[in-house]
Amino acid sequence: MLLAANALLVQQGALEATSNNIANSNTPGYSREVPILTEATPAVEGNVAYGRGVQLQQIASVRDQLLQFRLYGETQQQNNADTQVNYLTQIENQFSSTTSGLGPDITAFFNSLNQLSTDPTSMSQRQGVLAAGNNLASDFQGTAAQLATIKQGMNQNVVQDVNQINTLTSEIAKLNTQVSSFQNMGQDPGATEDQRDQLITQLSQLTQISAIQTSEGLTITTGNGTALVVANKSYDLQATPDATGAQQIYASGQNITGEITGGQLGGLITVRDQFLPTVQSSLDNLASGLATNFNAAQTQGFDLSGNAGQAFFNTTSGAGAAANFSVAITDPSLIAASSDGSVGSNGNIVNLLGVQNQALSSGQTPLDTYSGIVFSVGSATAQAQAASQASTLGVQQVTDQISSVSGVSLDEETSNLIRFQQAFAAAARVITTIDQLTQTVMTMTSGS
Amino acid sequence: MRVNPNPANDILAAIQQTQATEQTALQELSSGKRVNAPSDDPAAAANEMRNQASESRIDQYLQSVSSMQSQLQTADSTLNSMVTTLNQAVSLGVEATNGTLSPSNLQQIQEQIQGIIGTAVQLANTSYQGSYLFAGTETNQQPFTQGASGVTYNGNDGVNSVAIADGRNLQSNLPGSQLFQQSGSDVFGSLQQLSDALQSGDQNAISTATSAISSALNYLSGQRVFYGNALSQLNDDQTNLNQETVNLKAQDNALVGADTTQVATDLSTAETAHEAALAAAAKILPQSLLNYLPTN
Repeated sequence: MLLAANALLVQQGALEATSNNIANSNTPGYSREVPILTEATPAVEGNVAYGRGVQLQQIASVRDQLLQFRLYGETQQQNNADTQVNYLTQIENQFSSTTSGLGPDITAFFNSLNQLSTDPTSMSQRQGVLAAGNNLASDFQGTAAQLATIKQGMNQNVVQDVNQINTLTSEIAKLNTQVSSFQNMGQDPGATEDQRDQLITQLSQLTQISAIQTSEGLTITTGNGTALVVANKSYDLQATPDATGAQQIYASGQNITGEITGGQLGGLITVRDQFLPTVQSSLDNLASGLATNFNAAQTQGFDLSGNAGQAFFNTTSGAGAAANFSVAITDPSLIAASSDGSVGSNGNIVNLLGVQNQALSSGQTPLDTYSGIVFSVGSATAQAQAASQASTLGVQQVTDQISSVSGVSLDEETSNLIRFQQAFAAAARVITTIDQLTQTVMTMTSGS
Repeated sequence: MRVNPNPANDILAAIQQTQATEQTALQELSSGKRVNAPSDDPAAAANEMRNQASESRIDQYLQSVSSMQSQLQTADSTLNSMVTTLNQAVSLGVEATNGTLSPSNLQQIQEQIQGIIGTAVQLANTSYQGSYLFAGTETNQQPFTQGASGVTYNGNDGVNSVAIADGRNLQSNLPGSQLFQQSGSDVFGSLQQLSDALQSGDQNAISTATSAISSALNYLSGQRVFYGNALSQLNDDQTNLNQETVNLKAQDNALVGADTTQVATDLSTAETAHEAALAAAAKILPQSLLNYLPTN
């Protein structure tokens, strides 16, 4: 009878596991639980072995740690690519119009000089040149400012991501201890391990991680080996701005910024430290080269007053040239159209126009330099978009595999419900039967 | 082998994919462009940028050509008037060599010649949009002034050129000194010479002066060829530039334009695929053992 009563409890336990699965069928990161039923050791009396019923060994979660590790890898790749697409698209927007902006305004500026050459003393056409020059300047300044704003946004995100990493690692460390103490006692950590793995997946969104199973739990490091979680301790990262305001990442006093790859943080750093500077420096070289060459052409000629031409643009060299690009004159008579000092000569305009075809330090003309920037920005964005699509597929595949191992199948749970319910009913029936037998014996011996 | 019991995410992903394809086709159809951002086709985008720059430059050339046409036509018609005026002077000179004229007649003719000199100076001082046409490059002051010692040229011999196409320039003026005071064909000099001869009454002098005016006139007519040529070059240039614009626009289309027939087909295919994905989802998602168990 005890055997049957025990069976009732076991089937009930199995039902509880099933009901837990059904309840959690939509919980992200949940690994389905399976009741492990084993036969109790039989009792041997002489030649006969009497079975002692069923034991509920444990309720085990079905999970595959290797797949989980693969998920971390795919997740960081996807987030890396997505972050890059996000910021590269923002940068690309600065260079995507063919009808307005820097490229068209470079041509418009030289067009205004061509117009001036038909009537070099015309004040209104000289004003036109000044206006076109000012448009060009505001394009350079505007683009430089937008790129700086994008960089600022990236820096803010670096800080946010580092804070997020620190929050996650400290949570993971706490759960780590709990999980390993379950495991050391031979018990299934169940929901605790699910929770911990969810947090690690969130962590891998932010950066590439390596996880190694030890007796004290998982040791989690960044891709290049910086410790994040060891046993029950977590190690914080710090974000500190450098002299230019760029947030640098430190671990135990060492600057590991250049070694962070993967995840959102890695994507941010790749765009901020590798790609954006090339765009900014191309822009700066374009600005300073154009200004320098044009100013030189000005000095070859004479203005309306017969004086030698002076600088038309203000510029600086190196970083910040685009942000500092501006028109140096406000008096239209200072445009040096004349080649011999006479008022109506347009002989120097050919030199001013010639700047259009003069090679800059990039080895190309101003317009070709600009279209080169358009090309490199477009290519980088297209590549990141392709990587994003590919990695999304990768995550999907691993997620599907994990789901096929650990996912709750409502059909399966439903049929389990039926099984365990039937077994419960049958065991109850056994108890009833034994009870009836007992009753019979009692009635038998007590007489009529 | 156990299969993934939760296909919902995959189904959703497939639906989103077909939706994205639909949206791309829609954008291409409505913008008419296959390349809406550099990342759609970086090489095409970069080339399109250069194409647009060429088109813009050609627009400017066309404007400059138009400005030059007006300027040169004004100059040419002024020279036409000058030739007419000089013809008048030659007729008067010939009339004066008719021996039957009295001194007072000669004086009348001389006054007319003085009038012609005034007209000629006025013509030579023609300006266009505030600049003097025959002053060389000293275009802000009157090139010819009439004084006691005759007509003086205040301009220079500078010439301007204007770019009318990539690598093509056109000279846009002839200096007044070259046109009207060339030694041996001096318009003002010969007119003054006639005036002086009429004053003196010397028939030979009158005759010589009249020949001098004739040769200045012939020379001037020859100089007008410059303006005729320039205007004809500008016309040719306009035709070429307009043709180039057509070519560039065709290139635009080849580079970034959407093939509307193809895109319309793509859109229709994408819509069909999207509907199919939705229909499949509707069939698969609600399937479950629970649908078949008796409810009791």
